[in-house]
Amino acid sequence: MLLNDKDLNDALLDAHARCDGAALITLYTNAARAALAQGQEGAADFFLTHAYVFALERGDDRATNLHSRLKERGREE
Amino acid sequence: MIKGFKMADLDLSSVLTDVSRAKGLPNAHYVDDAVFEREKHDVLFANWAAIGFAKDIPAAGDVAPVDFLGMPLLALRDKDNQVHVYQNTCRHRGMILVEEKKNIGAGVIRCPYHSWCYSQQGKLVTTPHVGGPGQNTHAEIKREELGLTRIRSHVWRDIIFVNISGDAPDFTEYAAGVIAAWSEFEDQELHHSGSDSGFKFDVACNWKLAVENYCESYHLPWIHPGLNSYSRLEDHYHIENPGHYSGQGTVVYSPQIADDGQRFPTFDGLGTKWDKAAEYIALYPNVLLGVHKDHAFAIILEPKAKDRTIEHVEIYYAKPEAAGADFAQMRAVNSKMWHAVFEEDLFVVEGMQKGRHGVHFDGGKFSPAMDSPTHCFHHWVASQFVDTPVAAE
Repeated sequence: MLLNDKDLNDALLDAHARCDGAALITLYTNAARAALAQGQEGAADFFLTHAYVFALERGDDRATNLHSRLKERGREE
Repeated sequence: MIKGFKMADLDLSSVLTDVSRAKGLPNAHYVDDAVFEREKHDVLFANWAAIGFAKDIPAAGDVAPVDFLGMPLLALRDKDNQVHVYQNTCRHRGMILVEEKKNIGAGVIRCPYHSWCYSQQGKLVTTPHVGGPGQNTHAEIKREELGLTRIRSHVWRDIIFVNISGDAPDFTEYAAGVIAAWSEFEDQELHHSGSDSGFKFDVACNWKLAVENYCESYHLPWIHPGLNSYSRLEDHYHIENPGHYSGQGTVVYSPQIADDGQRFPTFDGLGTKWDKAAEYIALYPNVLLGVHKDHAFAIILEPKAKDRTIEHVEIYYAKPEAAGADFAQMRAVNSKMWHAVFEEDLFVVEGMQKGRHGVHFDGGKFSPAMDSPTHCFHHWVASQFVDTPVAAE
């Protein structure tokens, strides 16, 4: 579950520090994509969950797609 | 029988009788922490108490935390303009959900601890990692059973009322008397102009003393001598609906007229009574209301301690133009006038609070002719402390 991409990790920490929800959705979605590319299914679910939570918090339209992806993967109701 | 108290400790029988024979509530109801705590539950939580004004959460997605006698509440206006009140406590680990007023747009309420998320309708939407990392479900986490704890609420005259115990009659039944008495004002919009029409006082008294003073006109010529020139004591009448509300009215209300003849517009369709009448009612437990043909006000009494109350005063007008720039000067005069009147009452309620430490004070002797609206309130408070409802006299 470690994030290997230092730039992405730094960007996430920065977005958290700024409470930038829109950026957090994008960055966690990107992190999930990177994890899947490396075959890290569990890490992908972890990052997708975070993207989904921040999308819900903002009322962001991306929440619908993220929910669908998590549900397909058996991770969400 | 007094709940949790021995009659010898807190005998209310002297209150629960006719005003001609009754005494006021005993000192303990003003100076004793245990009685204040008991009153919190039996009087303020068990009935419909006011916690704030709906105007203060005007936009969809506005959320505001409210500390009501230590009870953490969350007031929220949803996208359909409905006001909801929830316990401001996450169903997971009991974390406070919202610490400061904000707008969450169309988003959810996210607990800042483990990020359990609740919809604006109170539904538990997601429980991240609840089944382990990346697994957001668990067989034992039944979301339909874990929504936000809804507090019964009702908005009337822009006031957010809550019944925390959850077992009071519906608000419209609870307040049916005053709704009927002021039916001509019902369903008429109230217009608030913002900070120039609101103020508050932090008062060193028990909240009940503010109610008691507000109910009666007996004090007017002494405490508000400015009224004597146009609103004499004999121009006032008692208003009493035992068990519900009490107050006073005047038959010589004189609306403000500016030097250039400008007047506030009036509410629609009022009967001739309201040409000269104004009424001031305490809706038990903690709301003081005033209506006139051209404006109204509400005072929410926020009990902070047995001997500290914050009075939140907001003034409303009958038409939107009265809340606009053209009436700013008249509103300023009106706000200044009411501020001065209510300020004149402060030394009285604070003085009565000090007086309640006189160990030989017996609750006081009412004037049967002049104090019955105040006794009406005392009788109601006392009746909340007994196991068997006491019929109002």
